[in-house]
Amino acid sequence: MRDDSQSWAPPPDHSQPLHGAGVTVTRILPVRQTLISAPDILTRQPAALGWPDVATGDRYSLCLRRDRVLEINGPERAAGWHDGQAISDITDGLIVFEIAGAAALALIQRGTEISERQPSRSVQRLGFGTELMLYRWEDRLRLHAPRADGPALWHRLKAHLDLMG
Amino acid sequence: MSGRRLSQGGLIDRSRLLRFRFDGRDFTGHPGDTLASALLASGVRVMGRSFKYHRPRGLWGAWFDDPNAVFNVRLRGDELPNCPATTTALVDGMQARAVNAWPNAENDLKGGLDLFHRWLGAGFYYKTFMWPDWHLFEPSIRKMAGLGAVDGKAIDGYVADQLHDDCDLLVAGGGAAGLAAARAAAEAGYSVVLADDHPTLGGSLYQGDEPIEGEEPQAWVAAQVAAIRAAGGRILTSTTVFGLYDHGLAALAEDRGFARAPRLWRLRARRTLVATGAMDRPITFADNDRPGVMSLQGAAEFLGRYGVLAGQRIAVLSNNSHSAPIVARLRAAGAEVIEADPAEGAPRALGGKRLSGVQIGARKIDCDTLLVSGGLTPTVHLWRHAGGKLDWSAEKAAFVPGAGPDHMLAAGAANGTFDLDPALAEARAAALGTPHATGASGYRVRPLWPQPGSKGRQWIDFQHDVTLKDVELAARENYVSVEHLKRYTTLGMAADQGKTANMAGLAAMAAIQGRPIPEVGTTTFRPPFVPVPMELYHGTRRGQAVNPLKRLELEPQHRAAGAAMGEYGGWLRPAWYGPEDQSAITAEVQAARQAAGVFDGSPLGKIEVMGPDAAAFVNFIYYNTIATLEPGHIRYGFMLRENGLIFDDGVIARLAEDRFLISCSSSHVAGVEAMLESWRQDGNDPDRIFVHDTTQHWATITVTGPQARAIVAALDTGADPATLAHMTLTEGRFGDSPLRIARVSFTGDASFELSVPASRAADLWQAVLAAGTPLGARPIGLEAMSVLRAEKGFIMVGKDTDGETMPHDLGFDVPRRKKKAAFVGDRALQTEAANAADRRQLVGLRVADSGTVLPTGAHIVTGDGPQRSIGFVTSSYFSPTLDRPIALALLESGQQRIGDRVQLRHLGQSLSATVTAPCALDPEGERLNA
Amino acid sequence: MQLFPCPFCGPRNEREFHYVAEPGKTRPDTTGDITAEDWAAYLYDTKNEKGPVREVWMHLTCRELFVMERDSVTMDVLGSKTLRRTLPAEGAA
Ligand SMILES: [Zn+2]
Repeated sequence: MRDDSQSWAPPPDHSQPLHGAGVTVTRILPVRQTLISAPDILTRQPAALGWPDVATGDRYSLCLRRDRVLEINGPERAAGWHDGQAISDITDGLIVFEIAGAAALALIQRGTEISERQPSRSVQRLGFGTELMLYRWEDRLRLHAPRADGPALWHRLKAHLDLMG
Repeated sequence: MSGRRLSQGGLIDRSRLLRFRFDGRDFTGHPGDTLASALLASGVRVMGRSFKYHRPRGLWGAWFDDPNAVFNVRLRGDELPNCPATTTALVDGMQARAVNAWPNAENDLKGGLDLFHRWLGAGFYYKTFMWPDWHLFEPSIRKMAGLGAVDGKAIDGYVADQLHDDCDLLVAGGGAAGLAAARAAAEAGYSVVLADDHPTLGGSLYQGDEPIEGEEPQAWVAAQVAAIRAAGGRILTSTTVFGLYDHGLAALAEDRGFARAPRLWRLRARRTLVATGAMDRPITFADNDRPGVMSLQGAAEFLGRYGVLAGQRIAVLSNNSHSAPIVARLRAAGAEVIEADPAEGAPRALGGKRLSGVQIGARKIDCDTLLVSGGLTPTVHLWRHAGGKLDWSAEKAAFVPGAGPDHMLAAGAANGTFDLDPALAEARAAALGTPHATGASGYRVRPLWPQPGSKGRQWIDFQHDVTLKDVELAARENYVSVEHLKRYTTLGMAADQGKTANMAGLAAMAAIQGRPIPEVGTTTFRPPFVPVPMELYHGTRRGQAVNPLKRLELEPQHRAAGAAMGEYGGWLRPAWYGPEDQSAITAEVQAARQAAGVFDGSPLGKIEVMGPDAAAFVNFIYYNTIATLEPGHIRYGFMLRENGLIFDDGVIARLAEDRFLISCSSSHVAGVEAMLESWRQDGNDPDRIFVHDTTQHWATITVTGPQARAIVAALDTGADPATLAHMTLTEGRFGDSPLRIARVSFTGDASFELSVPASRAADLWQAVLAAGTPLGARPIGLEAMSVLRAEKGFIMVGKDTDGETMPHDLGFDVPRRKKKAAFVGDRALQTEAANAADRRQLVGLRVADSGTVLPTGAHIVTGDGPQRSIGFVTSSYFSPTLDRPIALALLESGQQRIGDRVQLRHLGQSLSATVTAPCALDPEGERLNA
Repeated sequence: MQLFPCPFCGPRNEREFHYVAEPGKTRPDTTGDITAEDWAAYLYDTKNEKGPVREVWMHLTCRELFVMERDSVTMDVLGSKTLRRTLPAEGAA
């Protein structure tokens, strides 16, 4: 058996923002993230955002799939199958980064093929080797990623900021 | 007399001097120079030695088509091998050295090798060094051949920036056609990217003296650049479009200076215009590789861009009308030019390291430089990358772009339109998508191809030292397809990818066989168009980012507890706690059996299946019957593939009538979720089944062992562990967070899986250890867990199963025989193969000598006659609980062999063991409720 | 690097997709008798055609399963259509 603990730097401290190339990456902590799936979820939540729609404020929904949204800071909902909807609390399952600055999109373009000229109904995409939910929030970008991929994603974003700077 | 710098002309800055060294001598140049232009301006002729014969070589071309001048270049401690001198911008302080030459290119000790050329023909190493073994000769031959040497030192910060972008129109090539097209498209409102590999736009415009649309070239270029930028177009200079891929994806390498990694652009273009110009072809004649024999176009570039006159007394050998304005320009610059017609007779270059003249039939011309032009070849590489076809133009004696994908366009010289005004009109029409009729071409060329059977050594591929005789040899030995010719002779396989060689090579083969050139065809054009550093493809995916692991919420706690970390199924997890593995693992197993082990099981899958059809769906997905599972209860089961093989195992809990929780293996979560989605949408009603992967929302801490119940009871969860039966689940609270308690066991002891939202993991970990430590509990890692489960004969999918294992091979046969409802893989469990008597089945192995732990992977072999493998060891450990080795194995007809002694073989070693049931500890399962 | 059209998300980089199967194969009713030949054909027979092909793909990020028509020689994408018989929006109406 081999001890690889030295081959892997301890997870980064997400509480300190990343700066570089006029871009700031900050971890934000939504109070609640809820996965809601239903055949008619996009009828129930027609405002669920795609790309490059712009979210504002504290509470909004992201369109993930034909039949699934991610509700940010919505009402507390009982998990399970209720009222024709499948509901799961995923607050701690997704890590959320906010990217501010003029080159925010340029940073993201280091890791995924994305363009404001190419709209998409879903905010989910692959980027930097992981699954991202990526969208515009006010004058910034926000992305949600699987929690356990957060350290790797942070590492890549930092490497690209250093290169761009 | 050879090259010299003129007092005016060119795009260089004569007011500044740059100093550099080449092969140990000092030189100077100016900003705007390349290494090649500065050396040519300084009168240097020999700039390299050829690949195989170590023949002296000078410049052929002025840009990417030069095969000869290849340098190792060092600048301020950073060294790069194999830099083409013609495309490496001169920087003050550079130290350059010709590759494949020692001590230098001018006086190369291996120059004598050329005397043995008769024995070094195409494929010589296959034929000559056969006995006794090629590998005996390989190292020294490899050392002798080849290009630059690496200094073994990584350049600091040599990391490629990689980005994605998109545009309506990508224009590859910033010459006249490219600039005109980019401007027209940008002004029509398209988003345009124009990329050119030179630092200065204008392409071949500087070769002649002709005005363009009434303006001097520099003024015209400046006007186009300003107009393109004003219309929002983007211009990338020093940027090579090196590959075109499917669906309009272009790869661009942006040069960022010496010893800095280029930037990779992955540019998605709705349309791409190839405006990459054309290259002058060499003429194949005896000793056509003498330093001083140069491309006419190359000499024109050196004159136009760098203000360097290639020679003083210059003979020009040309078969086409393209040469006239260049000859005029050379004369105007002060050279004495003698024109000759290759039709006068077979040419031969005269002289040694330096050209002294040229013999053409009976005529001998004294000259220091021989400029040749065998006709223009459109640069169609990118066109071919994108799947465009080539047409043969007999009139132009060249392959030109033919039919191509709708999004691909070609214009100007790259399209065979060599005259300036028609090229501009064609480029603008292409950019705007308007119809355009190409007028008559003013370009005249007489076909001039290699003449098989002619005398002397005539180079086809300069960089790989392939001569006409090598092509003839290949033809004699029946390597007549161009693809075979290429591999047999290595023609076109050097770093320049045959830019000057391919046409001559295929024309030679055509002539040898008496076939028309288009029938012989070209080899495949593949990216990259010019060599790019491997780093370009690498970027920030390095070190930990190559294949990053998922990270546990509790990693800091594990590290603080002295954990050794290892990769397990894509996660970085604690292997054991302590400085040394064996003693730590033993202590952890003993603690878990005697008190309690505390295990971070967070990666364990937590996939929820919900909806009105959820029960029927999971019943279909699982081998085992799930429909009868009561809410609050848990069942162990297998998921199969349709071919009946085990895909995953794990437990499934029914949380409510219409809600299930699947705990699949930690390393299979993504695969299981994708498999569930596939079945959900294909063959089921996706509106009545929903699959949520909530794995990473929850952190799971497993407490296992005789003290587990007491520890959980101490946590104040609102749930009573004493009443929680094995294979049931309940919900409680941990502070103000929800807590899920599942009683399942992978160890054979009473075990509780406690799950809380991941942000509460640290608190729960601390609470469990606070309650457990006084009772003798300790954290246990993956290795101890592997031992604990192996003592019980519990399998790990992928370790104790392989690509043939079905559930009944592991002793789970009831659903196969009894389950009525359809399930994934059901029919495959009834095939002849599935019922074969000699299937490999899971067994335990017990060794006689209690000190020997069987090697994992050891083969179980038949005892008599020629030995045959009948199985292998899948898991093997020393069991601290039983104080003896234990092992699991897959063994043919294993169930029938229980009690038999079997032989094992491992790396030449012979071992023996007795076949047992898989479970070595507590087969009655009494510990579960102890 | 190809661009594949997810019927829901629109064109996306091919890295986001996985090939699933050839369309048109229906799972036999395994509660009845199925010959070994029929089961083998269901499991293993694939056409592997040259030229225009129809294939089932999954868009990994949104998990949409869809039929894509494309040309296996030119790599041109000819169209894509979701596997669902009733789209959720239609179902709601
Ligand atoms: Zn999609």
